[in-house]
Amino acid sequence: MRRQVPLILCFAFGIVMALTEFSPHPFSQWLNEEIIDWTLVIGPFALVLAVATLVQSHWTRIRRRSEYWQYSFLVFIGMAAMVLIGIPLGQRHEAFVWLFRYAQVPMDATMFSLLAFFIASAAYRAFRARTLEATLLLAAALIVMIGNAPVGDLIWNTIIPFEDNLPSTARQWILDNPNLSARRGIILGISLGVISQSIRIILGIERSYLGGVEGD
Amino acid sequence: MELIGIWVAALLTLCIYSFLYRDNPFYRFAEHLFVGLSVGYGIVLTFHQGFIPFAWNPLQEAVTKQEWVGLVRLIPIGIGGLFFARLVPSQGWLIRYPIAILIGVGSGLAIPNVMRADIFEQVHGTLAPFAQIHAGELGPFQIFGVVLMLIGVISTLTYFFFSVEHRGVVGGVSKIGIVFLMIGFGSAFGNTVMGRVSLLIQRVDFLLHDWLHLI
Repeated sequence: MRRQVPLILCFAFGIVMALTEFSPHPFSQWLNEEIIDWTLVIGPFALVLAVATLVQSHWTRIRRRSEYWQYSFLVFIGMAAMVLIGIPLGQRHEAFVWLFRYAQVPMDATMFSLLAFFIASAAYRAFRARTLEATLLLAAALIVMIGNAPVGDLIWNTIIPFEDNLPSTARQWILDNPNLSARRGIILGISLGVISQSIRIILGIERSYLGGVEGD
Repeated sequence: MELIGIWVAALLTLCIYSFLYRDNPFYRFAEHLFVGLSVGYGIVLTFHQGFIPFAWNPLQEAVTKQEWVGLVRLIPIGIGGLFFARLVPSQGWLIRYPIAILIGVGSGLAIPNVMRADIFEQVHGTLAPFAQIHAGELGPFQIFGVVLMLIGVISTLTYFFFSVEHRGVVGGVSKIGIVFLMIGFGSAFGNTVMGRVSLLIQRVDFLLHDWLHLI
């Protein structure tokens, strides 16, 4: 019951989903869509559990008066504001849209833009053209960065009156050729891995998702 | 409301940028508020775009319009409810049922879809231009690109092929693969940096234009 039934469920749902993808029969298509809808119903319950864990962890911080415990109230305030407005009034209500547009989006963008500083300082400290590989990496990164900025073309066209907009052309060529071929190689490798791992999971060879110990 | 919104957004932006000096109460304020708002936003989206259309509406229609087939949705609701078994230590193993179903469905969907989108399409994209070369539609520089693409894909795949020792021909080809990989990683790094810089420019533009009206 504890291990066999989940393995059987995983096998049954995996086989059905793989086979119904190939069958054009209306019943097969209905079954495929119905099971996908089922996962869209089951999935949100995992979110509820995740939120419960987050609340529990911050509540524990407050109870134990851990370092910076006062800030945990802000997590609750932010979450409550979104949920109490968004769930009864809907996601298109102006108060919900206001919170999204003027609080969440600016903070999201600013958090990611902070990385610009850290990436730049890390690159300055780590990038050294000591080997051929490191030099290639550095050169490709520089060409892509200069080609991405309009000022790159402007400087080139002003200083060197030869082959207009060369930085952006070189950037595009790198992205479309050596970069794409490396990405394709990686994608093909990952895909083969995903397929073999999926087969192992469906056949019950890979069971780590069950957790626990053998015999549990 | 828009003016208040711009002030709130600007102050929150400055709170986060204060981290560039060092960790401080303003940054921690914004950081924790951001976590709360993001989780709340995720809950609202999941509720309105997941639970309501796929669970609540079919059940409501089953009762009001007597379309009893909608009651089938009680099964996934019951299975989803098993996630809460995690909160009862003695019954925690029941959580394996919904996890097994989600993983089974994901694996079953992955096999045909990954094969179609990530293997057949990628191989097709690599080899199809050779038909254009055969038809005489490509110039010398484009032909060079097509051949380079094939060499890059094969050598990159060889680099990740660990079933044979990387010596001799295999070792040489995998070294070429490293060259392509380094260019690929460099491009990815360059694009990431420029993406972040674009966000930085957008935030500075917001502060100077929308908030302070300086530019």
